Amino acid sequence: MIEVSNISKQVTTTEGTLTILDGINLSLAAGETLAIVGPSGSGKSTLLGILAGLDTPSSGTVSLNGKDITRMDEEGRAAVRAETVGFVFQSFHLLPGLTALENVALPLELKGDNEALKTAAYYLQRVGLDHRTSHYPRQLSGGEQQRVAVARAFACRPMILFADEPTGNLDTGTGEKINDLLFELNKEEGTTLVLVTHEHNLAARCGQRLVIAAGQQVDEGSAA
Amino acid sequence: MQALRMLLRTWRGGQLNLMIWSLVLAVAVVTSVSLLAERIERALTAESSSFLAADLVVRSSKSIDPEWIARAQNQQVQSAQVLTFASMVYHQEDMHLASIKAVESNYPLKGLLRRTTTPFTTDPSLIEEIDYGPAQGEVWVDGRLLPLLNIELGDEIELGEIRLKATQIVVEEPDSGGSYGAFGARVLMNVSDIEAAGIIVPGSRVTYRYLMAEGASGSDGFTNYSEWIKTQLDVHDRLITPDEAQASIANTMDKGRRFLLLAGSIGVVLAGIALALASHHFASGQTQQVALLKSWGIAANRVRSLYIQQSLWLGVGGSIVGLLVGFGFSELLIAVVREWLPISLPMAGARPWITGLATGLLCLAGFTLPALWHLPAQSPLAVLRQDVQVKPVSSAVRGLFGVAAVAGLLFWYSNNIYLSLAILAGFAVTALATIVIGLMLLRVAKTYGQKLGSIWRLASSNLWRRRSQSIIQMIGFSGAIALLMIMTVVRTSLIDEWRWQLADDAPNHFLLNVAPYELDGVRNLVTEQKLETAGWYSMVRGRLTQINGQGITEEQRDKHESFRRELNLSWTAELPEGNKLTAGKWWDELDLSGDIAPVSLEEELAGELGLSIGDQLTFSVGGLIFKARVTSTRSLNWDNMTPNFYFLFPEGMLENYPRTNMTSLYIPPQQKLLVNDLLRKYPTVQVIELDKIIDRIRTIVSQVTSGLEVMTLLILSCGVLVMFAAVSLSMSERLQESAILRTLGSSRRLILGIQWVEFSVLGIMAGLLAAIGAEAAVALLQRFMFDLPFSWHPWLWLVGPLAGGLLVGVLGVGYSRKAVTQPPLQVLNSL
Repeated sequence: MIEVSNISKQVTTTEGTLTILDGINLSLAAGETLAIVGPSGSGKSTLLGILAGLDTPSSGTVSLNGKDITRMDEEGRAAVRAETVGFVFQSFHLLPGLTALENVALPLELKGDNEALKTAAYYLQRVGLDHRTSHYPRQLSGGEQQRVAVARAFACRPMILFADEPTGNLDTGTGEKINDLLFELNKEEGTTLVLVTHEHNLAARCGQRLVIAAGQQVDEGSAA
Repeated sequence: MQALRMLLRTWRGGQLNLMIWSLVLAVAVVTSVSLLAERIERALTAESSSFLAADLVVRSSKSIDPEWIARAQNQQVQSAQVLTFASMVYHQEDMHLASIKAVESNYPLKGLLRRTTTPFTTDPSLIEEIDYGPAQGEVWVDGRLLPLLNIELGDEIELGEIRLKATQIVVEEPDSGGSYGAFGARVLMNVSDIEAAGIIVPGSRVTYRYLMAEGASGSDGFTNYSEWIKTQLDVHDRLITPDEAQASIANTMDKGRRFLLLAGSIGVVLAGIALALASHHFASGQTQQVALLKSWGIAANRVRSLYIQQSLWLGVGGSIVGLLVGFGFSELLIAVVREWLPISLPMAGARPWITGLATGLLCLAGFTLPALWHLPAQSPLAVLRQDVQVKPVSSAVRGLFGVAAVAGLLFWYSNNIYLSLAILAGFAVTALATIVIGLMLLRVAKTYGQKLGSIWRLASSNLWRRRSQSIIQMIGFSGAIALLMIMTVVRTSLIDEWRWQLADDAPNHFLLNVAPYELDGVRNLVTEQKLETAGWYSMVRGRLTQINGQGITEEQRDKHESFRRELNLSWTAELPEGNKLTAGKWWDELDLSGDIAPVSLEEELAGELGLSIGDQLTFSVGGLIFKARVTSTRSLNWDNMTPNFYFLFPEGMLENYPRTNMTSLYIPPQQKLLVNDLLRKYPTVQVIELDKIIDRIRTIVSQVTSGLEVMTLLILSCGVLVMFAAVSLSMSERLQESAILRTLGSSRRLILGIQWVEFSVLGIMAGLLAAIGAEAAVALLQRFMFDLPFSWHPWLWLVGPLAGGLLVGVLGVGYSRKAVTQPPLQVLNSL
């Protein structure tokens, strides 16, 4: 499902060229789970961005579902994202003016799904928020907001779900519940899950772990 | 539909309020004034379809040649005579200088008269439409004559030597083009009563109209006749076609409409600024949403299309609401200026609505779209990294779009590129002056604020730090407050100042149209009352027909009224009091024995007519021709209320032509009955009561400015929106500052105090700027419109800053109260 071959990312700053990622390789089959772990500033989120087609590597290739997205322009990558990818973010990224139901329905509506609201209601019920559908984000707790975000991500039935520190803004208890939900839905929907996390517990629940330090792929033991 | 759904959800979330209101107000300002102008214009143009009451009219200052009438009868063409003049009408002790119209019984040839027996009714079922005029012995009168003379229908009124029975109220005449400006109430009488009344004497100011329309001989017969008539006209006659009548009204109204729209454009500019700020604020709140949409795979083009569609929906929706609000305001404006408007105003056509809609859409294109343009370029990566943010279109480019939109609208309203550019330049200079003076005031506030307590220090440094927003708010408020103050000054004091500058015993009555054989009698009557006149002047009415041997061209006629109408020519031995020779020589330095009469011209008129010393003029007085040479120009003093003449000749040159006499005099209120005696004895004498005219002008000016004040309220609302939009831009910064201050232990009182000081000081500055602007504008009005010496209006300097401080203080603190009421933790968490 995801094939990454020797990708690197450099950016030019006033102090010269800075290498953020260097020689990353990985392969992930459909339905598998991967945790990208590493200290702050190690390049985890950059890698996630490149894997999801939000950013491009300076060199190397990334294929999603058999399509080499590194050879595509932004339009092409957008098309791949639309049919393949879903996201859950650390800061939820819910639209404040929309109710929980509308937040979940929006990406479906934009894809022209006539059943958007129905599907959204179903997934809100799946995350246990069927009684909060008409609430606005500001009326929901952090955990509830992230559950709405999870429902929104799964409602589009993506083949691959990217989660960037999904519990980073939540307390441990709530975070655990969100993790449970992610893995449960992942299993039920057969989604491929790629998540960036600091948490060893969460990383441990994934089938594969990719440890990054200073932009380079390292052995699991040396990263800890 | 997705775009509309997204827009409705955003609107529900309250993020669009400022944008919508800015748009609504811009459209409302323009719609209200253009509806008002269009409806008045329609009322007048509707009349002009039958405006002539005929197919063709000859207007003349001399009576109609009987041969014309005889020939019309022979050739089976309809014709009728109409005479209009001013004359006194009486009922017992009451009198009124009425606007008399004497018609033949077949009047009107085209169109219908509307009459009623119920005074002041607008009920169509009580109004009768007929195609004939009053019978001999009867008059139909304007409804307002009834209270003026204290009469009822059925009573008799006196006109000259006869009594006529008022039997009907005339509601509307097809050819009453001048009735809106006429001071006297209309009295419609039969032309066959004229002779018996004895009110028309040689030299009387009568306008004769000869109405012609197709008769039994059909259109060919009429064409033949009208071609023949054209060959019969001389300089005293003017042929009027329906097209011409319509064109002249349309032209006047067009000017009025453009003026109102240009005044309204101040509101549009303010609303535009508010819209630009609100759109910028809205766009900055949308960047994260766009990043999210793009992370879901929505392509940039689709994002652009979604935002353009949303903008269009917003534009159309906001404009429709604006059109409705504008309609409401136009009704209010009409209610305020009711008295001097035609009785019934027809509904407007499509033009004002199109103008309103175009304003909305152009504002959107100029102020909103540039602010949103960068959004589709937002990187989807921004969902992961806060530092990846697309840059908005630079403020300079956005400013250019705004200016282009305003320029486009100005051109749309004025249809005149130079006028649009001049107004644009006017806006730019005003804005520049506001920026320069505003920055100086802010600097002063900052310098002195530092020396005061902590509240003042923080508030004044806030104002300085956010100076671009402070300046924008000042522009919005000072513009609106200045306009409001200008209206108030004009309405309340300028007219009074104008009246008060007259001496207490300045002449308050003009006596005109005194025939030579009446002169001694009138003189004696005045002397018996121990009153003094400003001297008697004779005048002859003549038409300027040639300049240096060349006939007056059509172009010249179009350019200046004096080429079209009869002029008052007078003579004197001495240079009259208040006159000053500005060029050439007075009679005593000239040889007066030649064939060509010397003439002295008023300086400004000479300039307007393009005449200079040495030019030879040819005049026609009742068909008699004589020549004159311009030998001097004079300046006049219009303020002393004594008779002034544009054209003066030496004595002995004009005495043989039919003439009338005039003077002005002061009649104290207790001797006012003299006017009664005078008019009973000499019914053809015209008395102009200046007091009443000044009062009438005052009422009209007062109503017009009250109407404009209603509009200024709309413009003030635009100013308020500018402020809200500017405060919104800094809201998150304000929230953050307040939260930090409160976390550090500052009291709510301190934060509230800072806000009060900040907004009130801003308001005081805006009020001060408004006072400067208003005083300057009033000074220009005094100089160029009312011809008054400059005078200060100290209350402007007090009320401006006070009202500004209070208004901006209350609105500003009210609008940003969230900074105090929201718990600090909640604010800091959301950052």
